[in-house]
Parts: sequence; structure tokens; C-alpha cells
Amino acid sequence: MSERSARSLAKGSEPPGPVPEGLIRIYSMRFCPFAKRTLLVLKAKGIRHEVININLKNKPEWFFTKNPLGLVPVLENSQGQLICESAITCEYLDEAYPGKKLWPDDPYKKACQKMDFELFSEVPRLLKSIFSRRDKEDCSGLKEQLCKEFSKLEEVLTKKKTTFFGGYSVSMIDYLIWPWFEWLQAMELSECADHTPKLKLWMAAMWEDPTVSALRMDVKAFQGFFALYSQNSLEAYDYGL
Amino acid sequence: MSGNATKTLGKGCAPPGRVPEGTMRLYSMRFCPYSHRTRLVLQAKGIKCQVVNINLRSKPEWFYTKHPFGQIPVLENSKCQLIYESVIICEYLDDVYPEKKLFPCDPYERARQKMLLELFCKVPYLTKECLIAMRYRRECSDLKAALRQEFCNLEEILCYQKTSFFGGNCISMIDYLLWPWFERLDVYGVADCVDHTPTLKLWMAAMKQDPAVCALLIDRSTFLGFLNLYFQNSPDAFDYGLTC
Repeated sequence: MSERSARSLAKGSEPPGPVPEGLIRIYSMRFCPFAKRTLLVLKAKGIRHEVININLKNKPEWFFTKNPLGLVPVLENSQGQLICESAITCEYLDEAYPGKKLWPDDPYKKACQKMDFELFSEVPRLLKSIFSRRDKEDCSGLKEQLCKEFSKLEEVLTKKKTTFFGGYSVSMIDYLIWPWFEWLQAMELSECADHTPKLKLWMAAMWEDPTVSALRMDVKAFQGFFALYSQNSLEAYDYGL
Repeated sequence: MSGNATKTLGKGCAPPGRVPEGTMRLYSMRFCPYSHRTRLVLQAKGIKCQVVNINLRSKPEWFYTKHPFGQIPVLENSKCQLIYESVIICEYLDDVYPEKKLFPCDPYERARQKMLLELFCKVPYLTKECLIAMRYRRECSDLKAALRQEFCNLEEILCYQKTSFFGGNCISMIDYLLWPWFERLDVYGVADCVDHTPTLKLWMAAMKQDPAVCALLIDRSTFLGFLNLYFQNSPDAFDYGLTC
């Protein structure tokens, strides 16, 4: 049912039909960290869903009717309603579906998680910059900046004295930031967390989370994707299938 | 809301005491658009709030205990809880005071308002850059063109929806979150950027009729007085127009 490992749809492909009742559809890409956020929330909340992967270097024309910017992730429900922007999709799922609430109910606690989440905002851009650099010498400045950003997160965990960013159990903020930490090993950047022991403990705890481990992407698969992506190969998105 | 028309607190000022039970306190600055968002929400929801204005060029030392980088707006409640980032504050206020909800209840409509906010996200940067360029008599036709494009995107939404406001036929959170920059178009010298977006102009006219927007409308000459002093680097800029 969850076609997380389905081949991506590209230019010239037929548009998918309407979303069946009782399901929600996510337009995704197997290696996209932003889409991973939404996949984590779908899994954590046990939401029945179907996945359509998009070839981001050769996008189907119809995909721009789902998101004019042509970006993943996009949610589409059986009423044809479309939701874009990963953090917005995650909040929508938390509000629209019953079961375990990932954002806290208490308004102040929720505001605190959102304020802490702001501290993460430079990490995606930094990791992407490191990822797109071909000669590794250039990266020392970027790696240093990344370490600084990790220190900010370390401070949060130190103040809170809890394992996770939201408290003693996994919650929304942990899932929102996790996908980039999953990348660290594949990008050989694990050492950037060397000076942040609490963050390392958090990572270890996250690997133990049933949702995270169920959606775990193999390091070799990431590296295979990176290699093909750097060569601008259209096959990158389906690496390993 | 009390205290908006009060002098700023600067370096050397004593910290204010505890926030009394049943009220909120907003650390603010009269001309800041981000603070303006939160003041609009406080006004629209009828929340009892004391405003403490901060001199942004000479910040009181204690203000860094309210915000790590001394930024405004910051909301403080009677339990000494601090919330910052204008959108986070607005959402918090809507959650804590559920009567007169500004965000819709429906999850999809809530998501739509947040997506609209994303669509708007380049406007604060572009309007500020235009203001600075014009004040320093620099070329800014590219910036204005970019700003016009952003307004076209918003125009498209309103045309497609055929509603008076961004959230429907009644004013709601998204309108208040966008408003402060539209109120400033004139004093920033970019009012002509809405010349080709008639529906957006109609929205602006409708917003000016809203009681909360009206109550907080900043006088044009006061704003220009502030901007003149601000660009002369005067520490008195933030108190311009106050008599006591």
C-alpha cells in the first residue's frame, strides 16, 4: 500500500487519478529530507497513505498543478485539497488526524518547541552547500558553521535536561529536524557532532524510535543517490530500485 | 492595550517588575512591523496587555534576559513565560484566548493561511531594501520590480478566491499578519507597486475599515518623522511624536 519504493514519475507520465477515500497521498522523493519529515509523521500517526515519487530533475507537467513551484512534499487528500511546505504538511496531519498528538497541547509548550525549531533553520542550507561542493577543501568553513549550529541545539538539550527536544518522548520537533541528522553518516560528517555529546545521545535515541527505524534509509543507498545526483543523472532518484 | 504611546526603555533603565495576573506584556517598538502584527492580534482579540517599548539602538541590559539577541517583539505572561518570533506569538495568543479565534478551526484552512504566509515571505525583505535604497538615493528599479511580482502573486490569490480578505469574507489571522507592510508602502515610498493590483488595493481599503487596524493606524507624518531620525542614526528616533 505505501509505495515508498516506487519508481519516480517523470515528464510524459500520466497524471494519477483522484485520491481514494480513506487515504491521503504524498508526492515525494525517496532521498528528500523535507519529504522525509512528512513521511515520518504519516508513519508515527499511523495514517493510511499512498506515495507517489517524483523525478525532480525531469518533473511531470501535471505536477505543477499540484504545486506551482514543483517542489516536494505535497499532500493531496480525497477532497482534492493540496497542502505544500513540509512543516505545514506535518502540522496539518497532526491537526486533521486523531491518535498521538505530536505537537504538545499546551500552547506555551508548543510555542517553546517552535522557538527551538527556529534554532535549526540554518542546518538544511549548510548541509546542502556541503553536499553540492565537489572539492572537499572548500568545506572546512561550512563544517565549522555546522558545528556552531549543532552547539545551539546542544544548548537546548542541556537546558531542558531531557533526551528529546520536546521532552522525555519523541515529538514533532524531533521528527522535523531528524532527516538531516540521518544524512550526516552518509555524507561522512558525523564528526561535526563530536563536540555535542547530548546531541549524539539524541541521535542514538532517535535511531531506536520505531518510526525512525521503520523508515531508515541505507547509507549505501544515500551514497549511491549522491553520486548519481552530483553527475546530474536522471536516474539518481530511483537509485537502488 | 496600554502603554504603546510611551517612551522607550534604554540602557541603564531599571527592569520592569512582574507581569500582573490576568495581563500580558509585550516588549515592542512603535514603528516595528513585526511588533505591529502582535499588537493587531492583541487588539483584535481584546487581550489586556501592557506594552513596553524598547530603544533598539540602546537596549537595556536586562532585555537580553527576555530575548537572547535582544529582538522584539517578545511576549511575557504573568508566569514569567517568554515567547518570541511574531508568528509564534500570534499563534500562542490565538491558542490561549480561544474566544474570537483568528485562525480558522479547519485544519486545511489553517494550512492554507500558513501557505499564504509563505507566499508573502519575500515582501518584508523587499520593502525594507527599497526603503533603504531610496533613503540613500540608490537605484532600486529591480527591487521594485521584484516587489511588484510578489504583489501580483497575492493579487492572483484574491482574484481566484473572489473573497474580500485572504482567509475568506471576514478578516482573519493571515490578513493581520500581512497588514503591517501594506500600511508602510506609502511611507516607504513604494505605494506605486500596487498600481497594477486593483484587488489587492481593494483589500487594503477593506483592511483600513477594520476596527483593530484603525485603532493602531500610525499617523503618516509621525512615521516620516521617525524614519528621518532613524536614518540620521538618532537614538531619539524611537520616541518621535511622543509628548511625555
